[in-house]
Amino acid sequence: MKNKIAFWIITLILIMLVVFISVVTVIQPVFTKNSLPKAVVRSSDQKEKVAKDKQAKADKDKVAKADVINSSDDTVSSSDGSTTSNLNINKLVELRRKEILFHSRFELASDDSTYLILDLINNTAVLELKGIVLHECKIIHSEVSNSFKSYPIDALLNWMSEPFVLKNVESTIPKITFIEKIAPKDTLEANKMVTEPKEIKLEDVFIVMDFERNLRVVISQSEEPDPDGKKIITNLRRKYDKIEISRSIKALTKFNREPVKPQIEIVLSKSNATILYKALPFNPRMILRL
Amino acid sequence: MEIEQKQNRGFLNTVKWIIPVSLLSLSVLMIIFNPDFQDSAFKVKSKFSTPPAYVGKSGDAIERLAVRSARNISVIEEKLNTLKPVKPYIVVNTSENRFSLRNIDGDTIRTGVCSTGKNELLIAGNKRIIFKTPKGIFTVRNKQQNRPWIKPDWAFIEDGLPIPSARSAERIDYSTLGDYALEIGNGYMLHGTLYQRFLGLPVTHGCVRLGDKDLEVVYNTLSKGSKVYIY
Repeated sequence: MKNKIAFWIITLILIMLVVFISVVTVIQPVFTKNSLPKAVVRSSDQKEKVAKDKQAKADKDKVAKADVINSSDDTVSSSDGSTTSNLNINKLVELRRKEILFHSRFELASDDSTYLILDLINNTAVLELKGIVLHECKIIHSEVSNSFKSYPIDALLNWMSEPFVLKNVESTIPKITFIEKIAPKDTLEANKMVTEPKEIKLEDVFIVMDFERNLRVVISQSEEPDPDGKKIITNLRRKYDKIEISRSIKALTKFNREPVKPQIEIVLSKSNATILYKALPFNPRMILRL
Repeated sequence: MEIEQKQNRGFLNTVKWIIPVSLLSLSVLMIIFNPDFQDSAFKVKSKFSTPPAYVGKSGDAIERLAVRSARNISVIEEKLNTLKPVKPYIVVNTSENRFSLRNIDGDTIRTGVCSTGKNELLIAGNKRIIFKTPKGIFTVRNKQQNRPWIKPDWAFIEDGLPIPSARSAERIDYSTLGDYALEIGNGYMLHGTLYQRFLGLPVTHGCVRLGDKDLEVVYNTLSKGSKVYIY
């Protein structure tokens, strides 16, 4: 009789543990209002101040006018009204998407820094500088977290309304590599050091980029990696899986899970992934079109 | 005695269940902790997701928002156009050692191979000299035909030669830069090369080397003030 009780107590404890963990790790974040972190949309005054600081002089007042997100001007001319009478919500969403893209592009184009545009609607990854397309490549395949689908489109648009700033990046390839060379003592030594330059072999690419507002972008290559590269990539993937698991376990102790970390995984050709990664500055900004 | 044996058997029956129950629990936990499982749970949520805030708005309000968006788009588009170069420009890809010469509309006039910085760190005593092509946006400051190259100190250090005085004739080299040179600042140039076979490879000390024919087109297309984008 005692043993039966012991058996049921143990079973009950284990069941309770499973239920508790599933509540904390899945049910709580998924079935409660776990909203996306909102973009910090700067006011026009702040923008002007930033523009002043960066000596983006002449068209500063135009920038303020172009502040599309915070504009409170709702007045519409009657002549324009007739042309838009047939617009439905989908068209409005499309317009808002385009507006956000242009707004972000203009904001980033005001700086002298290269930025990335990840357009998952047209399946392209674009490198731009000052509004000029430097490099454009096709996204061969992309996968987006299901959490994106669970939010209303206006919440998503608000989330994407400002460019994302990279917080942390880990990659299987270095951003830049320098070959160290000791200067020769004389011409004889210099002649010995002369070697024919060789074609650089591209290394296997796997990049994990953590942006602000909890966005994670994973870039992988379409080509099959060589055995060594595969091992490195698998280790990096496992590392990030472990981080996610430890987040879940930490949440157990607090019963207060961190906000959702939406992830976008894109597959590019090895050469394009390398170009994008090497061309971006150390703290790049990215515009997302989703 | 018999009762004691029965009790023991009962205890063993209980204990043997603990292992499978524990394993089952462990596997359930592993599934729950798996990020993929958590993500698939969001798929369920997406089926019950709330509609956008626009849905509740009246037709007029939606129209107003749409007009405002359209107007903002055209305003920003105009401003983006003002950032575009007013002269033909060149884009240099240092990863692939390729260039693309474009007109003011952004259409490609010519593409081809070039050579960019070899990313080398030359250590000469306490001196550290880096040979790399800078990235960013530059402007053509000067254009010259048959420009002689005034060799900097590193050119002698690299060849194991003694460094001559600043005004020494040894510093003047008439052949290295090719027929044309376009200065982009800080001593960096777009110029020709004697080593045409190395085009497409990162071999330079920071300048961008072009093939003879490409260089001629680039020289004739770009003018002082033209933009040079290097990434």
